[in-house]
Amino acid sequence: MADQIEKIDEVEFGVELPAFDPDTSLENVRRFGKYVGWGGGRFTDHDAARKEGFPGAIIPGVMSQGFLGAMIHRWAPTAQIKIIDTIFRAPVLVDQPHTITGVVTNIEEDLKQVEIDITITNEANETRVQGTATIELPA
Amino acid sequence: MDDDIQVMRDQFLNQEFDEVKLEIDGTRFAEYAKACGELDQKFTDPNHEDFQAPPTFVATLVGRRNLPQDFPQLNGVGMDAGKAVEWLAPIRDNMTLTGKSHLHDIYTKTGRSGRMVFLVTRMELYSEDGTHVANADTRTVIRERPSG
Repeated sequence: MADQIEKIDEVEFGVELPAFDPDTSLENVRRFGKYVGWGGGRFTDHDAARKEGFPGAIIPGVMSQGFLGAMIHRWAPTAQIKIIDTIFRAPVLVDQPHTITGVVTNIEEDLKQVEIDITITNEANETRVQGTATIELPA
Repeated sequence: MDDDIQVMRDQFLNQEFDEVKLEIDGTRFAEYAKACGELDQKFTDPNHEDFQAPPTFVATLVGRRNLPQDFPQLNGVGMDAGKAVEWLAPIRDNMTLTGKSHLHDIYTKTGRSGRMVFLVTRMELYSEDGTHVANADTRTVIRERPSG
């Protein structure tokens, strides 16, 4: 399987997408907070987050969802994401390494659509975020 | 379906409770794209001929309220359980979108710690010419406190 695909006939059922390590650094989350929003202490300050009962600062859910979209586009730059559904199971911690993995779970050649299951896990291999995406690819 | 949930569904589902105008700023969605790790310049470079927001960007657009004004107070703490986005058409710099919100679903799951109520709020987004460009769902879970 190539690191990137362009057309639907290149996609194989069950294939794993190239893993993606998102930038969970405090600097990146603060930048996200400055330009996009979600700049509150629980996201941008470890001490403030601990006072709220978290182990440390946490990645905004909307940013985690953005990581999933970026992972898909890195694998399939010609893809149009049609639907992406994300379940936040546990916090994604800032400054902690996380890995995003994905697997193709369905191919609808007639519709030119592919379904993908995506998971964000931490270093302990604990699932933090689960997602399902439907993408459309050129024939 | 629990009776109290069915009553809420009958009263609130698919009733629009909020409408907002949203000015789309290309700088904001370009920075969103870069922070999330997008590499495609159509998401990150305002000078790209096809410059547009990543599909997931609409999850960052919020209305004035997440639930109807007269929605009952549930006995528990609400948490963000997830987000879903349906992309229908490109969203570009300087567009003015109209966001219309309604409760799209109410359902429960019961675990060892009791019942959890899930509320799915959907914001439908329309461009100025009335094109339906996206749906953005926010799923809130309320873990009910034991009564008594």
